[in-house]
Amino acid sequence: MKNFQILFKIKLVVVAIALIFSCSKDDPDAVNQQEFISNVVLKIQSSDGSKQTVDWDLSEQNSQAINLKANSDYTVEISFLNTSDPSAIENITLEVIEEAEEHQVFYGFAGVSVNVSSASDDTKDGSRGVLIKSVWNADSAGSGIARVYLIHQPTDFNATTREEMGGFNDVAVDIPITITD
Amino acid sequence: MFRPLFQFFLLFLSGFNLIYGQSCNLSINGTISDLHDGSPIIGALVKIEGTNFFSQTDFDGHYQIQGICNGKYELTIQHPECPTVKKKINLQTSQVYNFDLEHHINELEEIILSENRISNLRKSVQEVSLDIGEINSYGSNTMVEALSYISGASILKTGNGIAKPAIHGMYGSRVGIVTDDFRQHDQEWGPDHAPNIDFNSFETIQLIKGAAALKYGGDTPGGLIILSSNRKKLKDSLFGNSNLILESNGKGGKITSRLEKTYVNGFFVNGQLTAKRYGDFHAPKYVLSNTGLKETDFSIKLGKDKITSGWKFNYSNYNIETAILKSAHIGNIEDLFYALSSNEPRIIESFTYEINAPKQKGKHQKISFNYFSLFQNQTKLEFGYNFQVNDRKEFDVRRGGRTEIPAIDLLLKTHNLVGSLSGIKFNDWNFELGVNGLFQDNFSNPTTGIKRLIPDYLKYEAGIYFLGNFQKTNTFLWEWGLRMDRIFIDAKKYYDLSVWEERNYATQYSDFEMQKIGNQILTNPRLNYLNFSAQTGISSKISNQLKLKASYVLSQRAPNASELFSDGLHQSIAAIEYGSLSLQKEISHKLLISFSKEEGDLFWSFEPFISKTFDYIYIEPTRLKQTIRGAFPVWEYNATDVFLSGADFTSSFRFSNQFKFDLGISYTYAQDLLNDRPLILMPPLNTFQKFKFTPKKGRWDVELIHHLNASQKRFPDSNFQFNLIQEGQLVSQTVDISTPPPGFQRLDVYFSINLKSNNNLKSQIRVIAQNLTNSEYRDYLNRMRFYSADLGRNFQIQLNFKY
Repeated sequence: MKNFQILFKIKLVVVAIALIFSCSKDDPDAVNQQEFISNVVLKIQSSDGSKQTVDWDLSEQNSQAINLKANSDYTVEISFLNTSDPSAIENITLEVIEEAEEHQVFYGFAGVSVNVSSASDDTKDGSRGVLIKSVWNADSAGSGIARVYLIHQPTDFNATTREEMGGFNDVAVDIPITITD
Repeated sequence: MFRPLFQFFLLFLSGFNLIYGQSCNLSINGTISDLHDGSPIIGALVKIEGTNFFSQTDFDGHYQIQGICNGKYELTIQHPECPTVKKKINLQTSQVYNFDLEHHINELEEIILSENRISNLRKSVQEVSLDIGEINSYGSNTMVEALSYISGASILKTGNGIAKPAIHGMYGSRVGIVTDDFRQHDQEWGPDHAPNIDFNSFETIQLIKGAAALKYGGDTPGGLIILSSNRKKLKDSLFGNSNLILESNGKGGKITSRLEKTYVNGFFVNGQLTAKRYGDFHAPKYVLSNTGLKETDFSIKLGKDKITSGWKFNYSNYNIETAILKSAHIGNIEDLFYALSSNEPRIIESFTYEINAPKQKGKHQKISFNYFSLFQNQTKLEFGYNFQVNDRKEFDVRRGGRTEIPAIDLLLKTHNLVGSLSGIKFNDWNFELGVNGLFQDNFSNPTTGIKRLIPDYLKYEAGIYFLGNFQKTNTFLWEWGLRMDRIFIDAKKYYDLSVWEERNYATQYSDFEMQKIGNQILTNPRLNYLNFSAQTGISSKISNQLKLKASYVLSQRAPNASELFSDGLHQSIAAIEYGSLSLQKEISHKLLISFSKEEGDLFWSFEPFISKTFDYIYIEPTRLKQTIRGAFPVWEYNATDVFLSGADFTSSFRFSNQFKFDLGISYTYAQDLLNDRPLILMPPLNTFQKFKFTPKKGRWDVELIHHLNASQKRFPDSNFQFNLIQEGQLVSQTVDISTPPPGFQRLDVYFSINLKSNNNLKSQIRVIAQNLTNSEYRDYLNRMRFYSADLGRNFQIQLNFKY
């Protein structure tokens, strides 16, 4: 009998504790996603002044194609944006420029052959161009993809392939590219 | 009435024998007691070497051997928890020999002895217990590593510093950890989350396979690991020990120190400190850059134990910071592909003590209070309250100077209240019943600037259990247990609107919706689970040597927060992980059998098990998802039915007083029944062999330990394809994350010298070489196997002082 009384007491304590703690939780704040990139924008300008903007958008997962003429120079300026809040578009490129010593833009091409070099007004870390602004020159006509990388902490900044460059990808998106004669 | 007659008869016989110069009616008797407090040691075996004479001490620690001829003999006194004592005697007349043994009582054993048979343990399940001192002396750095000497237990690792226990191929929420009578509550769901426990503040570690210990929950189909402190001695004494370990691999070490004061009135107080510091560890051929760790822990325990009533108060504080291999920080599957195709980590730098991102920080604080009181017929009333705070932060390499801002920042607070009534006896029946209440609050800090992997939630648990056993004779015991738990989870989580709709939650769980904010939706999932668990089993002595135990366990487990809500990128395997709200509770049936035989110098045990789990929750790759960082495989939590079976074999053989050989073999078979394929991450066939040599004279011994792991041939295919640009062309490549690495072996050598001080306390110096052959291997159960080989050769010096 005594045991049951004790049990009853235990139950009471449990219920009391449950009541004390059964508060409702405040609504959590939404996370303001930092360093989030939703768009990769390439502004391409030919030497004759004609312009083309290609915007790879995360929500649509694609972009228009890049159209170039073979054997002519184009200046390409890349920017990384966070447009998830349309009222406050963030330009992530500024962060990349600020941390130029840790970043490298890299372009890989499949199906086409394009030479990429640092533009005269490119962001530099020492003598190395980060390729925020680059000069493109395609060899011959064809179509394929341009894989656009933003590499964080590469182990070899001067490597010619993505594999050798090391580091890890902050951005890797495929943009179709067409080259005409 | 007969006794004087009998004595007369003896006297007569002895007189008779004396005539012939050969007296064979001598007897020896005496008491075996505990060196520390003089309490009797029950069940110690007293043997006369080279004869068939032996005796076992009774409940008063008393033994007697009769009918011995005169002559010179060697007595050995053995007890499972004491070092064996030998004494040479020259027996000419009947004698009394009393012995004091250094008794490392396992606390729970003692409860069994002092408070009758119902106990925290289930007797129908084979269990293994280890002394923490022993664990330390094997150079184990984490509690979990110590388990590698228990067959059936394995270790799931993330590099060197992070290890979590697996039993019969199950881990995470399927393995429970109990410290000082309370379940540990940290973020145990993550495969890369090590239990936040410093094992140095405990004295014994027990492993119970299967969810048999219903007192602590019925939701751990893998098993339970129980860490406990010894029961205190009613004696004025001050003692302690210190342990210093220095290691070549990692160029670091560990120091741990413990001091305990006990009083004759039952009051005790002890304090314990542990500090560890390691730099980068190294594999046989290279430095594992960014793998150092630092840890500082302390605990204070005090209380009063007056046999009939007592209380205790514990506080512990655990702090760890572990670096994670730099090369394991990858951006997408292309990076993963390159890592897999490289023989070495992609980043190898020179040795440093620095701990940089990626890294983890864990802080765990526990405070608990227990009270017990014994009533007339040994019925014990206990209650306890426990509060735990777990603060976990994970850091990634980030842009814009945010590396110092954690990417994951979780604060988990758990209140736990328990009450029980044990030792309720009716004839040969013995009962225990108890209740358990738990309240948990998880807070996921939004200032990380990264989408929460685990949301904010409140969790309520109420449990009740009823255990009983029936024992009429010493050779047979039947026991059973029932438990019921009610679990309620009240979460608040943001989903991406697109995900909420894509997964069909919008129609299925529309009542969880709270408000839409931009492209996100705030939801309030409220989930209820009712779990029933049960256990029944027998323990039977078939002969003096052969024991049989058989147990059936039904366990039910509610899905954990990660399985329900996971929502984000898992860096180290480049996977996007999604939980599932529709998961049901997991229901597991497990049958465990254990045969063990002890015959002279040979001991062996064989423990097969078989289990079937319905709605077993697992994660599998389902598709590729395009992100700004490229394509990622999406891993989703899902449920299936699985069949697990296996067996553990342990044996120990003493060739002579000098040589001892131990063997452990363990195998687990796991099959996903609905998808007809093997389960992922199951330990392959593994064995360990231990060979120990103790010289006849001298205070040293040497042990050789050989671990052999076969290659796991049974694994599911989780590979995926992606397009790589190679020499100007897109080439389809397979990312092989499924194929387990080849088998491996490892050789460790331990050399110890025992130093005896005047008060009979043993201090020890040990010199250890781990992975002596510097063999390069990768372990299937180590998540870092994608990036680097396991640890290379390590030399260790240990100084172990008792005072």
